[in-house]
Amino acid sequence: MASETPTSETWFGSAEKVGRLRGRVFKWTCLGATVLTLALMLVFLLYVANDAFRPLSADPGWLATMGLTVVVPIALLAGYYYRRDRSAGQVAYTALGLPVLVALASGGLWLLFRHIVTPREWFVLVVSIVVAGGIVVGHSRVRHDAVTERLVVTVLVPLLVVVGIPTVVPGLGQLLYLLPVLPNTLFSLLLGFVLPVAAVVGWRIRDVRDDDRDGAIAAGITAVGGLAGLAVGPLVGIHPTSWFVFAAPIVGALVVYVEHVVRTDKGRSGLAFPVVVAAGIAAGLAATQLLGFAGPNAWLDMQFLTSPHSTTPTDAGIYPTLVGSVLILIVIVLSAFPVGIGAAIYLEEYATSQGRFGTVMELIQVNIANLAGVPSIVYGVLGLAIFINLIGMGRGTAVVAGFTVGLLILPIIIISTQEAIRAVPDSHRQASYAMGATKWQTVRNVVLPESLAGIFTGTILALGRAIGETAPLLMIGVAATVRVSPDSFLSRTGAMPRQIFSWSTQITTEFRYGVLAAGVVTLLVVLLTMNAAAIVLRNRSQQN
Amino acid sequence: MRRVETDGGVSTADDAESTADPTETDSDSEKLVDVSSSFTVSDDDEGRPQAAETAIETRDLDVYYGDDQALQSVSMEIPERQVTALIGPSGCGKSTFLRCLNRMNDLIDIAHVDGEVRFKDKNIYDEDVDPVALRRKIGMVFQQPNPFPKSIYDNVGFGLEVQDKPVTDETVRRALERAALLEEIDGRLDESGLELSGGQQQRLCIARAIAPDPDVILMDEPASALDPVATSKIEDLITDLAEEYTVIIVTHNMQQAARISDKTAVFLTGGELVEYGDTEAIFENPDNQRVEDYITGKFG
Repeated sequence: MASETPTSETWFGSAEKVGRLRGRVFKWTCLGATVLTLALMLVFLLYVANDAFRPLSADPGWLATMGLTVVVPIALLAGYYYRRDRSAGQVAYTALGLPVLVALASGGLWLLFRHIVTPREWFVLVVSIVVAGGIVVGHSRVRHDAVTERLVVTVLVPLLVVVGIPTVVPGLGQLLYLLPVLPNTLFSLLLGFVLPVAAVVGWRIRDVRDDDRDGAIAAGITAVGGLAGLAVGPLVGIHPTSWFVFAAPIVGALVVYVEHVVRTDKGRSGLAFPVVVAAGIAAGLAATQLLGFAGPNAWLDMQFLTSPHSTTPTDAGIYPTLVGSVLILIVIVLSAFPVGIGAAIYLEEYATSQGRFGTVMELIQVNIANLAGVPSIVYGVLGLAIFINLIGMGRGTAVVAGFTVGLLILPIIIISTQEAIRAVPDSHRQASYAMGATKWQTVRNVVLPESLAGIFTGTILALGRAIGETAPLLMIGVAATVRVSPDSFLSRTGAMPRQIFSWSTQITTEFRYGVLAAGVVTLLVVLLTMNAAAIVLRNRSQQN
Repeated sequence: MRRVETDGGVSTADDAESTADPTETDSDSEKLVDVSSSFTVSDDDEGRPQAAETAIETRDLDVYYGDDQALQSVSMEIPERQVTALIGPSGCGKSTFLRCLNRMNDLIDIAHVDGEVRFKDKNIYDEDVDPVALRRKIGMVFQQPNPFPKSIYDNVGFGLEVQDKPVTDETVRRALERAALLEEIDGRLDESGLELSGGQQQRLCIARAIAPDPDVILMDEPASALDPVATSKIEDLITDLAEEYTVIIVTHNMQQAARISDKTAVFLTGGELVEYGDTEAIFENPDNQRVEDYITGKFG
């Protein structure tokens, strides 16, 4: 009624405000926890980076010059993107990060070509695979209906062509070696690496733009970018073959990404960012050279990355153990991934939950989750007992290390792959069955394509965990320090975490503070590269 | 609502043939005999012979989910190339019944089926029937549109691909046209199926289901997730499809059943088929009191 007094009727004044104190305290406490975590990690990273790079040992002039040419332009551009064009900002950091990621991946490839597979062997392998692939595809086109026959051909032909039957029938590779003339290293890399990369890029562009000419142009650019090493390499001091391995993938990736940005027409100004950064760094280096400023006396430099361990701290490096870690990763990818992914697919798609068999399957499921939590040293003991003592494999070889650490991350791979498969909505499977598809057709055409990105994310993250595991490596006898890079998967190898650990036990202070920090930063860079790749994959899958 | 006009049709054909080719007449009259002998008399109150063949027949169909009985001894004959609607309150077993017809209940571990479902002179629950082969003849459209995250072209071509039929531009476009979708998306067949509106996605699912040319199409509340405009498009589409396919549709919308179906089956709670007959008869003059109560809205 209208005659009420105002004081008894105000429901919104300050006297009637609903209390929010507890909520605010809770929110600030959670924020505090977040800030604490970030601060601790930042402190750790800065501490390690400072030890590794020692920026304060540089001339103040050097710092000023580099700041002016690199940091200021980046800050200005970043501010511009943030204020004006957010999508350009996204394009900017992708355009910068992509070449860096690809360069690091190419680095791994370069190590492979240097130590494990000679370019000539690689060329022969590529030829064999192309021939085998051609036979399988041609056969399936001609004999489209004979399903059993196609299955047999798909399995047998690659095996026969690439490997042959030991001591009875030589594979195509071995036959090729009998030829009087084989390409030398340069041409092997050219034909076996640069051209296939260019072909893949051209194919992808042709698919995306639906235009043969554009595909040819893209392939051409990639090939030229790779081939430029013949002319530019000697000028800059890089061997042409090294240029091939780095430039072809980087140029190819850039071509694909730039085409994507130009086509979607969002944030094109972001493409200027990596150019600005690169120009800034080049200008800064040139200027400091001219003005005679000394750079920082860093522990982590090119010399560190390319030298083996030495008793003199300034000469010590991480190179052989880097090779060893890459080898171990390759073994893990080839052994643990297929087993883990296969097991996960079976458990999610094929295993029933009814009856006695179902109970067994559930037991297995619970135990896999338990195994994920078993301490890593136990896996080391397992590796020692079974692979080395029982089966008799060599101590500390890349194969044994790969198997042992592979076992360690196997439960993680299985669980994350299961999660990715579970994320495929059941309605899609139902739709597929309702159209008369068999289970295999449903898994192959609906479930796997949809879950593939999630599977990759999980496996790459597991790989990141594997690269840093030290305890199992201690048990299986991976070399504490190595002077020579391993030349095969079956020779004694070192690994980065093992080397870092042995540096931490040296008496000389420089080892414990300087060289160790450089090793840690190297390991972190490799790890962050893999995680960045996983995140990119996950974002792309979420977009779909 | 349509009725199959066979009497007039047969006689005109006969007249045409007798003047054309004397050798054909005999086979025609044989044809006459064959066709009329396979007429089945379905549940029609006035006893008029229905001219439609039976596409699917169920005999004493019982379905149990574990210990709960979801369907109780359902027996009905579903005519060919007509729209049969299954209506009833929520949870009365209509979807369960629908899923029995293409053995989708096999995918549910705790479901157990007793009784017979006869399709093309064979009990589909026999030991020697491959459910995959059955589902290639009986297609299904679900309540929530569920296109794959592939292009529209690949979505429609999926059924053709898994059934080893050639995926051609022609078949894909024809299926999209049949589903009344081609006009709206022509030229955009490479786009993802998920970028369409709800009604378009459902029509895409229908195109996907009819592309491999099944005999029967089952639809589980196909329009319940759609707005009225999209719903009416789907209803027109269903009437159109029934010229070529047998359509069985589950719906909780009685007006929809009255609009588009030729025959209606009324299920009531507990999985009981209470009444089944021509739609007009069910809605205007039902036999069963409970059916009348349900239709007039006294419950459900």
